[in-house]
Amino acid sequence: MSSLEIKNLHVSTGDKEIVKGVTLTINSGEIHAIMGPNGTGKSTMAKAIAGHPDYVITQGDVLIDGKSILEKESDERAREGIFLAFQYPSEIPGVSIANFLRAALQARMAEGEEIDASSYYKQLYQKMDLLKIDRKFTSRSVNEGFSGGEKKRSEILQMAMLNPKFALMDETDSGLDIDALRIVSDGVNSLRGPNLGILLITHYQRLLSYIVPDHVHVMIEGRIVKSGDKSLALELESRGYDWVKQELATA
Amino acid sequence: MSDITDTLETSLENPVSGIDQSSGNFKYDMTYDFDAGTGLNERTVDYISSVKKEAPWIHDFRQNALKTFMAKPLPTHWATKDLENINFDKIRYYLSQGQKPKRTWDEVPEDIKRTFERLGIPEQERKFLAGVEAQFDSEAAYSNIKEAVSKQGVIFMNSTEALREHPEIFRKYFGKVIPTSDNKFSALNSAVFSGGSFIYVPPGVKVSHPLQAYFRINAENFGQFERTLIICDEGSELTYMEGCTAPKFSTATLHSAVVELVALKGAKIQYITVQNWSSNVFNLVTKRGLAHEESEIKWIDCNIGSRLTMKYPGVVLKGRKSRGEVISIALANDGQHQDTGAKMVHAADETTSTVVSKSISVGQGRATYRGVVHIPKNLKGCKNNTECDALLINTNSRTDTYPAITVRGDRHAVQHEASVSKVSAEQIFYMQQRGLTEGQAMSLSVNGFINDLARQFPMEYSVELKRLIDLEMEGSVG
Amino acid sequence: MVEVSTDRSLAAAAVGGFTPEVFAKHLSSVPAWWRERKKAAYARFEALPMPARTDESWRFSNLSGIRIDGFTPDAAPPAGTAPAPAAFALAAAPMLTFVNGRLAARGVLPAHLAAKGVVVSTLSEAAEKTPELLREHFMAQPQKLGSAKFAALHEAFIADGAFVHVPRGVEVDHPIVLIHSASGSGSAVFPHTLIIAEDNSKVTVVDHFHSNDAFGQFACGANDLYAGHGARIAYTAAQCWSLETLSLQFNSTVVRRDARVQSLNLHLGARQARHESLSQLQAPGGFSEMLALTVASGSREFDQRTLQIHQAPNTKSDLLYKNALLDRSRTIFSGLIVVDPDAQKTDAYQSNRNLMLSPDAESNSLPGLEIQANDVRCTHGATSSPIDADQAFYLKSRGIPEKAANELLIFGFFEEVLSRLENEELHSALRNLIRTRLGQ
Repeated sequence: MSSLEIKNLHVSTGDKEIVKGVTLTINSGEIHAIMGPNGTGKSTMAKAIAGHPDYVITQGDVLIDGKSILEKESDERAREGIFLAFQYPSEIPGVSIANFLRAALQARMAEGEEIDASSYYKQLYQKMDLLKIDRKFTSRSVNEGFSGGEKKRSEILQMAMLNPKFALMDETDSGLDIDALRIVSDGVNSLRGPNLGILLITHYQRLLSYIVPDHVHVMIEGRIVKSGDKSLALELESRGYDWVKQELATA
Repeated sequence: MSDITDTLETSLENPVSGIDQSSGNFKYDMTYDFDAGTGLNERTVDYISSVKKEAPWIHDFRQNALKTFMAKPLPTHWATKDLENINFDKIRYYLSQGQKPKRTWDEVPEDIKRTFERLGIPEQERKFLAGVEAQFDSEAAYSNIKEAVSKQGVIFMNSTEALREHPEIFRKYFGKVIPTSDNKFSALNSAVFSGGSFIYVPPGVKVSHPLQAYFRINAENFGQFERTLIICDEGSELTYMEGCTAPKFSTATLHSAVVELVALKGAKIQYITVQNWSSNVFNLVTKRGLAHEESEIKWIDCNIGSRLTMKYPGVVLKGRKSRGEVISIALANDGQHQDTGAKMVHAADETTSTVVSKSISVGQGRATYRGVVHIPKNLKGCKNNTECDALLINTNSRTDTYPAITVRGDRHAVQHEASVSKVSAEQIFYMQQRGLTEGQAMSLSVNGFINDLARQFPMEYSVELKRLIDLEMEGSVG
Repeated sequence: MVEVSTDRSLAAAAVGGFTPEVFAKHLSSVPAWWRERKKAAYARFEALPMPARTDESWRFSNLSGIRIDGFTPDAAPPAGTAPAPAAFALAAAPMLTFVNGRLAARGVLPAHLAAKGVVVSTLSEAAEKTPELLREHFMAQPQKLGSAKFAALHEAFIADGAFVHVPRGVEVDHPIVLIHSASGSGSAVFPHTLIIAEDNSKVTVVDHFHSNDAFGQFACGANDLYAGHGARIAYTAAQCWSLETLSLQFNSTVVRRDARVQSLNLHLGARQARHESLSQLQAPGGFSEMLALTVASGSREFDQRTLQIHQAPNTKSDLLYKNALLDRSRTIFSGLIVVDPDAQKTDAYQSNRNLMLSPDAESNSLPGLEIQANDVRCTHGATSSPIDADQAFYLKSRGIPEKAANELLIFGFFEEVLSRLENEELHSALRNLIRTRLGQ
């Protein structure tokens, strides 16, 4: 059982403050959905937690199991168990998926230990089959020439292989049609379990019908303004974000 | 003919301002046994020739070359104006045994020491490479190989010895593949050359083990004005390797070498260079091969070091069905300019040339590709394929590509492709988020880029190369 | 080769037939407002040297063919000159016809366009009605491709030219056709087309250059395209000068935010032609498409120099130049893509394809890249190859004779460029023009 604590987090980019004090705790086994209008800080928060160089945490803390991770480099945080499923995954020409994942796994092993090739490939193919990714993709360069759907599935594949403790999924559903959405959601659901905590960032309720969250938080202008369970998502769907804004105004 | 000489003109720039003795932080031993002094004139050349006890024809060759060198202007109309900073009067053109400038181990920069550590260079070699010791005692390893190949009739000696003992073999091609007047710097080399390897492989002999220049560096001059001539007789095969991945310190900041290769009918020569001169060196080289019928000449070139390298390996495809290839990897880091390329001159039917060039520009590094492909009209069935790709790492990098392709007639197929791509901070972050350190991420990207080419190097070089690039990449994103 | 040993002959070569006396005569025939600029241009022309062997921008050119003596500017067309031919069978009548640089005929702009403020007139008229536009745009772009001297010559001796101005938001459906013709042996003409497309406007312009006779002439023309925010310009130029003419032509295209410009140059005439084209992508979202088709026959030479400069992020350029080389002809293509340090996310492409159709033809390609931004996608390629032997045999085996087969294959080769034209009518008209040239 692990916990990811976000305490009064303030994040800026350039001299503009985007996240203005978010407090949230995600425990293993829980799925928290963060919803909100565009530009409200959802992605920013996820990237800042992952250690993206463009964002600065000006106040607050992020802790895994009680220990702050803010002093750690992004790759260290990754090895501690944080996985960010990118909204726009990068292309890495010339580096095959197989080699890339192998390098990532190798990075997590102790000095002197080596990955066992055959069990690595066995696992890789198994996950690829699950996500309906053609096995031939192993030799393709990471994300190069992939469609939107293929890129998202590729992110889930990486998540499946790297076994994080906490997955921050940034608009995983954007640009996907229903079929792709279903495959990606099945993939995520198959990884769901007591050892994984998920922060699911989305603009639309649609995804949450497939990946049912335990908690739903609404983020507006850099702050979490409302929390609830999965029914909150449905309310937002029918009443829109303005409803929440109005509620706040009159509160 | 003038067209061809124009296009073959290599511009070699020596932006050396003053000589090393005024820069850097190392001491010099002030007494020299053989010292031609600074500056270059007829007496310098006389001196060099007499110290080497050369035959009159070589002495004349040098003197004529000196005249040509003096008469030719710097080709700054297309090459960088940096050339104008060379002060020829201040360079020492010949230094000999025991008089090599030295420095103490303490004076060797930290990053060089660390590189040796990381590349696993043996203790003894480190001192030699760092300029702490004048000579590397490689006699042991070297003599075994020398013995093995001499049994096959292979001649392998330095330029002075070879011209003295086997003029009947070498004189025929010496200065013919690259004539003295080819460019200002081939003329310079022709006047003051010293050291380098002269190799002759008899007909049908396939030399199984690559011969290495490394073993041939002697105290004479650290390869400052090296002259190499390799002749492979009919049906023979040879792989030759020069340089090493470890950074080599040199007191002389001007290196102007000439390499001539001759592949007779059906012969195959593969010439591999890994250049990693220290960052004060200006490395200007003229390299050309003459390929006879059905022969093959392949240049595999990796340029990682030096402050400025200008090098355009070329092949003159003189015989029918001959093949020329240039494979080049260049890495330009902060303060470096790698100006490289290839020259393919087709002079017979059904000849094929291939150029694959990959450059990596990091930090403020600058990589330039210059190429010439020339196919005249009276030929048929010639093919050329050129591919040059540039990888940019970091917004201040710069890459330029300047090929020139001339095709005459309707019986040839020529193709040139070039592309520029990048490794961005976003990409690196993506990989870091998967747990790779910054260095590992960069290394993966860059190695992915040069993967196909790196495989062409012999195994041990390939591994060292990968390690060296990893080192260079560390800390390059920021 | 312009190798001269005395100062006097050097000076003479520098101006050829365009001596100060000739210039003075020209000056007396132009309106006052133009004289100061022209004098300055002439001074520049005089001072700059003729291109030399060592000029990188003239590498591979046949410099001995660039002789500017023996030509007369402002020559009246010889008596009994036949009228200009129908502009290669386009439905729209030509809007402006210039003969030896002076307006000779004029079409009528459809009323609905005139009502919206579309202007198709001459530079002289524009100088009276919208002088500020002329001041801002006329010959305002830098000469970066090696012909500063000849651009100055153009400005010094230009008699008049076409001015097309499309106001904000106006879309002009039918192509505006402009004819520039040259008449008489030794005539020097200086065609000029200035197109200003304001924000969100759309216009198609066709320039047709041709000689009324078979005499040798000298054509030194310029065309400048300006595309404002979101504007779209489709420009086609068909160069059909006589086979004895020396032709120099300079184009510059300025692409502002989200604008799209397509420029297609067809080269069929002239003994020796040099064409320089500059595209400046100045603001994000801009796109410049540069296309050219050349049929090089006889012992003629076609020299094309291009420059794609990306000065802002998220811009795109795409160049495709195809040359078909017959007989003893020569072509030179030198193209440079320059990406400034801040022009991230640039997409730039450049491709030169040479179809070698004769054992004596010669192609020269100098594709170049100077990239200073690192988040870019840039590729360039150049190929020179003969007709695919298998394809040729296949056609022959169906009974098609060699000449016809070659023509089919050449059209196939050109189709890639022609198919980029949106206007079907223009597409067929150009194909016909090419067919006529190949038939000769």
